[in-house]
Parts: sequence; C-alpha cells; structure tokens
Amino acid sequence: MDIDFLTLLLVAAVSLAAPLLIAALGELISETAGVINIQLEAMMLVGAFVGVAGALLTQNIVLAFAGAIVGGLIVAALHGIACFWFRANQIVSGVTLNILALGATTFLLVSVMGADVTQSVARVERIPIPVLSQIPVIGPALFAQNVVVYLAFVAVPIIWWMLDRTSFGLALRSAGERPEAAESLGIDVNRTRWMALAMCGALAGIAGGLLTLGGLGFFTPNVTAGRGFIALAAVVFGRWRPAGTLVAVLLFSVVDAFQIRAQTLGLPVPYQLLVALPYLVTIIALAGFITRMRPPSALGVNYEH
Amino acid sequence: MTIGRLADPRSLAGAVLVPVASVVLALATVAVLLVVIGANPFDAFGSMFAAALGDAHAISTSVTKAVPRLMAALGIAIAIRAGLWNIGAEGQIYLGGMAATAVVLYAPELPFPLIPLLAIIAATLAGAAWGAIPGALRAWRGVNEVITSLMLVYVGIQVTRYMLEAPWAVPGATFPATEPFGAYARLPIVVPGTLLNLGALLALLAAIAAWFLVDRTRFGLNVRAIGGSPNASRFLGIRVNRMIFLTMAVSGAFAGLAGSIEVLGVRGRLIEGFSQAYGFEAIAVALLGRLHPAGIVGAALLFGVLDAGGAGLQTGARGVSSSIVQIAAGLSVGYVLIGLGIQEKLRERRRTRDALERTEAARADASGGDTSEATS
Repeated sequence: MDIDFLTLLLVAAVSLAAPLLIAALGELISETAGVINIQLEAMMLVGAFVGVAGALLTQNIVLAFAGAIVGGLIVAALHGIACFWFRANQIVSGVTLNILALGATTFLLVSVMGADVTQSVARVERIPIPVLSQIPVIGPALFAQNVVVYLAFVAVPIIWWMLDRTSFGLALRSAGERPEAAESLGIDVNRTRWMALAMCGALAGIAGGLLTLGGLGFFTPNVTAGRGFIALAAVVFGRWRPAGTLVAVLLFSVVDAFQIRAQTLGLPVPYQLLVALPYLVTIIALAGFITRMRPPSALGVNYEH
Repeated sequence: MTIGRLADPRSLAGAVLVPVASVVLALATVAVLLVVIGANPFDAFGSMFAAALGDAHAISTSVTKAVPRLMAALGIAIAIRAGLWNIGAEGQIYLGGMAATAVVLYAPELPFPLIPLLAIIAATLAGAAWGAIPGALRAWRGVNEVITSLMLVYVGIQVTRYMLEAPWAVPGATFPATEPFGAYARLPIVVPGTLLNLGALLALLAAIAAWFLVDRTRFGLNVRAIGGSPNASRFLGIRVNRMIFLTMAVSGAFAGLAGSIEVLGVRGRLIEGFSQAYGFEAIAVALLGRLHPAGIVGAALLFGVLDAGGAGLQTGARGVSSSIVQIAAGLSVGYVLIGLGIQEKLRERRRTRDALERTEAARADASGGDTSEATS
C-alpha cells in the first residue's frame, strides 16, 4: 500500500463521512429527545432534491443549501404532525415517509424537471487551507475540503456542548429519558421534541444537499442510496454520543472508501461484502458483543398528556 | 399509537371505512399531481386502467406485481400483531431468492414439481433464518429489532450482489444475473396467454395460512397475547422470548417465500435488484390492510394495479410507474394514520363527554335536582 493510495483513501473517506456525520448528528439530537427518525433517509433525499432544484432556480449555492434545509424540514414537519398531533407510531410514520419521499422526488424529477434529469448545477467549492493542505497524506483529506465539510466536523464539539452543558440539552435529554418527570419540572416535552426534530430535519437536509451540491452536482432517483440508514446505525454504534458517532461515521467511511478503491484497483477483495461490513459491525455492536449500550428510555414512545 | 388500534377495529365499518377513504383520498391526490404536471387525469387514469385491468394479460400483470408485496406483508403483519417491527422483509426476500437459486443451480434436474418445491422450502427457511437473527437478538439480548432487521436488508442485498458477481457470475454477461432456469425449475403459467403463474395461487394459500395461524392456533393466540401485553403473557406461562424469536422467524419465512416466487415464477432466474423495494412497500400494504390477511390481499392488489397501471402512463419517461405507486402507497398509509388519530381523538372526546354527563347527573341527583349548581 503506497502513499498515494493512502492519500486518496483518506480523501474519499472524509468526503464520504461528512454527509453521514451531519445527518447522524441531527439524528443524535432527535433521539436524545426521544424521537426516532427511520425517515432520516427521506429527509436527506428531499434535502438533496430541493437543494438541486434551488441551485437550478437561483444559481446561488447559499440559497441552494437553504432549500436543502427546507426540504429536510418538510419531512420533519410531516413526521411531527403524524406522531405528535395524530399519535402515529414513529416507526410506521418513518417507513411511510421513506416510501413517500422516494416516490415524490422521483416523480418531480421525471415529470417536472423533465428528461434533463442529470442537469449539473453549481457545486460548493473546495477551500484548501494554506500550508495545512500541503501536509502529506492527511493534508488533502482534512484541509482541502469545502466549507460544509469543515462545519460538519466543527459541529461535533458544538453539539456535544449543547447536549451536555446547556439547559436546552438537559431539556432534550429529560424529554428522551423521563418525559413525565420532565413535564412535572415545567419542560414542555412535545415542544422540546418538535425543536429536536426540526434540528434533525435541517441537518439531514444539509447532509442531502452536500451529497448533490458538494459531490455529484446533480440529482438522480434515490441518490441517497441508504446513507440515511447508515447514519441511523452510526448513532447507535456511537452509543448516542457525539464523539462516538464521529468515530462510527469515520469507521464506516474508511471501510466504504476502501471498497471503492479496492474495486477500481481490482484488489482481490469481495468488495460487496466490505460494503455490508458497517451494517454487520453495527449489529454485532448492538448485540453487546463489543460494548454495552443503551438507547434513551423513551425513544420512539410518543408523549401524551 | 398502540398496536391494538391498528389491528382490532371496533367495527367492520371502522375497519373498512378508514382504509378505503384513505385510498380514495390518495388516488385523488395523485390525480391532482397529474393535473399539475399537465396530464389529463381522466386520460391518465384511463391508460392506467387499460394497462392494469384492461384485459386478461393486464390483470395478470397486476396480480403478479401484487404477489411479492402480499406475501411479505402477511409476515410483517404477524410480527406487528406480536408487537414486533420486521422492517427487514426486503432483505429476507433477497435471502429467499438466493436460497431458491442455490437449489436450482446445485440440485440435479428432477421431474417437475420437485425442484420448485425444494427451492420454495429452502427459500422459506432462508427467509426465516434472516428474520430469526433480529428475533433472537431482541429476545435474548434486548436489542431493538427495528435497526437490526433494517441493517440486515443491506447485508442481504450485498450478499446477493456478491453471489451474482463472483460464484454465480455468467462470463461475458452485461448485467449481474444467472442464466435463465430450465422449465423444470420454474413455476408454470396457470392461465395460458397471461403472466399468471402458480405463485399467485401460492400467495392466496399463504394468506389463508396466515389467517389460520393467527386466528385459529395456539401460536397465534400467543402472538396476540405478547402483542397485547408481554408482562401479562409471562404470567400466563407464555415463554415470551421464545415467542419473539419464533414470530420473527415466521415473519421472515413469508418474505423468503415471496423471494422464491419472484425468482422461480416471475423472473425465471436470479437477477440483481429483483425485488424493487417490495419488502419496504409491504410494510405499507400490511398497515393499509389493517394487519388482516383479507385486508392485506386487497391492499396488495391495489399496489399491483398501481404498479402495472403506472407503466401504462403516457408520459414517456421511465420512473413514473414506480414513483406513482410509491406516492399512492405513502399517501394511503399516511391518511390511514391520520384517520386513526382522528378516530381515537373523537372516541376520547365522546368518552370525556359521557363521563362529564354522568358526573353532572350524579351531582344533580345529590343536590336534589338543582342543576344550576351542577353546571357551575
């Protein structure tokens, strides 16, 4: 394994990790407050779609990402209405929204945007940091990315601080662990959960936007291809902690980057099985064979007055 | 939302009314979407009708498309009745397809019913095994089955890719698939000139079996018991953990069966991506059918009709068919969820009102008929 291989591997890994990380951090906030989003995939997909649509309409990358946020928020709002207003089961609502989002984005792409489905849009530009980006091996991966990727990694300590050190974080955690007790302390559980859900929608929307606006430059049906589910797994594998989630995302991304490179280089590795590895590792970790982990007590349980 | 709200409607009208109204509303929404994109909805529904129900061949297309969703949904419904979420039917379908293929590829050529029979049994077992993994982890290690069953979908899909691109790869093929199976290994067409294969009849049998299993057997009684209250079930002497394991295995078995029908009956070979999210849509089918086999048959047929009909849409772009089905599916279930929520709120309001009236009546009695005091 030579230096070039390692450099390219790391660049690919970090690029793959950023959208996963943003979505996973959103899901972490939401799950901390007791709301599970099986439709994280849908939030990313709609974010990716609206992001590209916004870029086509406005030719402005900032407005395009604003569109991606709106896309994620729409899915979050539908989930909240179903679960908090109409008391739907969170898993049922999530599964339904995944199906709906896949159908709706494909439909809009084919029927509204027309045959020109792979129309390229302006992409968010890379900003190499002087000197640091020249460091061998890790420089290009860590210091020659676009601004959203930098922000994704900066978000990890910020979200840790928010969850662990602020009263808002305490409200989130109590809404996810002991909603009844939280309510008796004057915390509006459902309002707290709405906020957590909105943050998740916004972040997952950005994550989707990063896929299309940061990498591909266009939208194709099902462009997220299961990344929302990987992000879900990363939260679990990261034991509902920001740092743990980061480690999980990096682990999954290195494996993923390796299988892509193994494929292009024709390495004698059954890459299909490597792709399956993050999922398998998550299952094994969940089963407690690596370390004990416990989800928030009230995760997925709607709070009713 | 409790499982009971989904599974045990208070009346037949309630059981049928909410899903049917939801489907009508979903189709109306799709019609509006078609208008928005500039299609005439009457023409669009007309061409959809022709492609889905126009003649025997069209009807057989719809039924064939309903079959995998129906069978996977039957299994998902059994799990939900037990309070378990088998989100991984898609993966179990792939395992079933692979197991059936393995039998066809490795077994010698035998007289007709033998190979499909063995393949179907193998597929059922493989699906059961794939479902049993999350079941066992939930039962004995307390791991939420939602995440694990979902993760196993992707493992199943990747294993299928591996098999098709390595050990079962056909040299020089442009797309990962096995060679077409010989007639001896396929499920035959039952109505000549149509696509209707033996799998459709097996699906009906599976629906009856699922109904019998849940409503008429000790196993089904236990399924409903642990779905209602795991703690009470424990006191009744039900081995809850064992039941969780078995239920998830049974649930996976139905999906595995669906995979074998798709491979042996519809495709006639194993092909990458042979299940087009049938296992995910089956969750919607199970919910739309209110977890009852009869309702599930109806919901699956609706999805089959939409799938076949979508292909007949004259928009000239690929991808419309599948997106129409997914929109209608998502909306139908979404409306059902909202409908059930409204139903529950109305019922609650009525209960509160009745309770208030009773209290007021009691107060009126106590105060010697002085109602002004009671209402204050």
